[in-house]
Amino acid sequence: MIVHVENLVKRYGELTAIDHLSMDVRQGEIFGLLGPNGSGKTTAINCILSLLKYDKGMIEIFDKPMTPYAYDIKKDIGIVMQNVAVFEELTVYENIDYFCGLYIKDKTQKEAYVNEAIAFVGLGDFIKFYPKKLSGGLLRRLNIACGIAHKPKLIILDEPTVAVDPQSRNKILEGIVELNRQGATIIYTSHYMEEVEQICSRIMILDKGRIIAEGSKEELKSMISLGEKISVEVFNLKDIHVKEIEALPNITSVVYQDHTLVIKSHKGKDNLESVLNYVRKNGINFGTIYSEKPTLNDVFLEITGKELRD
Amino acid sequence: MPVFRLCLKIFKKKLPVMMIYVGLFLVISLLIASATRTEREKGFVQSKTNIAVINYDASPLVTGLIDGLKEIANIVPLEDDSSALQDALYFRKVTYILRIPEDFTDKFLKGEEVWIEKTSVPNSVDAVYVDLKVNQYLRIAQLYNSKSSIDSSKIVSHIHKDMEMETKVNLNGGEELKQDQSYAMYYYNYLAYSLFSVLILGISTIILVFNNQDLRRRNACSPIPAGSSNFQFILANGIFAVICWAIMVGFCIVFDYKNSNTTNTLLFLINSFVFTLCAVSISFLVGNLVKNQESISALTNVIALGPSFISGVFVPQEFLGEEVLKIASFTPTYWYVKANNTIANLNSFDMASLRETMGYTGIVLGFAIAFLSLALVVGKKKQLSHEA
Repeated sequence: MIVHVENLVKRYGELTAIDHLSMDVRQGEIFGLLGPNGSGKTTAINCILSLLKYDKGMIEIFDKPMTPYAYDIKKDIGIVMQNVAVFEELTVYENIDYFCGLYIKDKTQKEAYVNEAIAFVGLGDFIKFYPKKLSGGLLRRLNIACGIAHKPKLIILDEPTVAVDPQSRNKILEGIVELNRQGATIIYTSHYMEEVEQICSRIMILDKGRIIAEGSKEELKSMISLGEKISVEVFNLKDIHVKEIEALPNITSVVYQDHTLVIKSHKGKDNLESVLNYVRKNGINFGTIYSEKPTLNDVFLEITGKELRD
Repeated sequence: MPVFRLCLKIFKKKLPVMMIYVGLFLVISLLIASATRTEREKGFVQSKTNIAVINYDASPLVTGLIDGLKEIANIVPLEDDSSALQDALYFRKVTYILRIPEDFTDKFLKGEEVWIEKTSVPNSVDAVYVDLKVNQYLRIAQLYNSKSSIDSSKIVSHIHKDMEMETKVNLNGGEELKQDQSYAMYYYNYLAYSLFSVLILGISTIILVFNNQDLRRRNACSPIPAGSSNFQFILANGIFAVICWAIMVGFCIVFDYKNSNTTNTLLFLINSFVFTLCAVSISFLVGNLVKNQESISALTNVIALGPSFISGVFVPQEFLGEEVLKIASFTPTYWYVKANNTIANLNSFDMASLRETMGYTGIVLGFAIAFLSLALVVGKKKQLSHEA
């Protein structure tokens, strides 16, 4: 096991930020910690890294107890903080060189690693730039380069795409997958369900410091009753039609609002066909019609009763 | 030593601003020092005052008195006219007028009460000296006249012989220094301001950077032990402080090389080094208290300039009010300047002479320890609040 956390509890006075969190991260996986802001993701990461004292629990990394003095463990961990942690006084190259130098003593090897990291995040044209001169996306890339330059076995990325443009975000996500492909185990925290869904092999959903679900995205989606969501653009629909559609087999709910009919159903391969047949049979004119599989947001919504981004 | 190298890199980035302080310091200290350099007396030349003698008694005794007065004064011939004499005094043509009456010698030799009339410029120091000379002459004359029956010509020759006798006086103590330390004194005093400014600017900036919570946490994730990291940090700051001190005192030794090979210079160096330690401690404290670079610039001016003004860096302590000095005594700069002033006047270097200087330097060291302790407490408190 790369990371093993057992019954972790962290309190800030009356507030329980982490409530009996247990998790295992296996070698070679991209483990996603998903949850809304304030759900305890960063606190959990800080406890795992021994940056915060915790009230209860046990943390092991590489099968050894993690403490602030576990330097042999720390040398194999790469960390990309939620807030960009780079020196304003140093250039892009100097920053990566410094952080890599904390782990790699051999000068030649360090130089090679720094250059690889620069190429990896695509900052080759900006090595002499100071952080203040970089855009948000480039700054995030620099933050990542500083965290991964020493080629760690375990990389922890805490919301690395916050306030990043879509282009840079895709670049970052592709990079994370590539790092994983190269052999690194990754813990990825985010409140963007699309990102987690896109890259993570296993996902843990947190809310108010508690685990509310854990598994692969398929496993998580199978936990909820929603199987399919069909949306139909209709301009005039009578109440009778809504009721009749609701009575069709497998359908769980029908809502008609703003010229859009949203039909939720249990899992079943004929749901879309049965709705289409009804529409055609009753001569209802429609615009677009499409079917969606449930998302992690639906999972979160069904379990907690609120949207992930609430 | 990545942390050490990082500190040096940050110092390097701040070098242009620090060089402005150093450059200004050198220019101003040179100007101040050369303007205030005092020439010490190496010999004594007696000056003569102008006096007038209105003499109505041409006896050998009075002639002898006038000859005696010629040794210390220029005799200006004036008519015995009251308005002319008053004008001469008013316009300082003479500072002293001596009027000798007609039968002065006869009465004097007979032992009768007799008066010499004198008129002088009010509060004149010269008049006192002429008085002394006249009294000395007449007392010796009275002595010879009372003890033997010799004529006035012989009395005069005896008086002149006696008055020519001089006693050699050797001055022991610190009145005259072997070498002139005034330049060094002004230089080292002014050093307080520049050293303070440069060290606060450099060290506080580094501390501010390392106190950034995100960077602190990021560094804490690295495999560099906290002890090693702290050691590298302290080493870099220590080297920076020593280099700043060495450069600044080095210039003084170069500029004032003729007077540098003395024990005074050694004491100046020790005192300024102790003050450097104190400035480092204060810089640590400032770095732990401030939240941004702008605050450092503002605080540098307050901490370096304020005490410099009230402690005698720019204006000598002799010219500062008692109340001001009382307030200044709560700052290390005051004791540092006091020690410099004492060192500049030291000529003897035994324990008794050095005790005062050592006391002042000791107080500066005490300030250094106090500020360092305070800085460590504030730093630790900050660290604990981040880890909670």
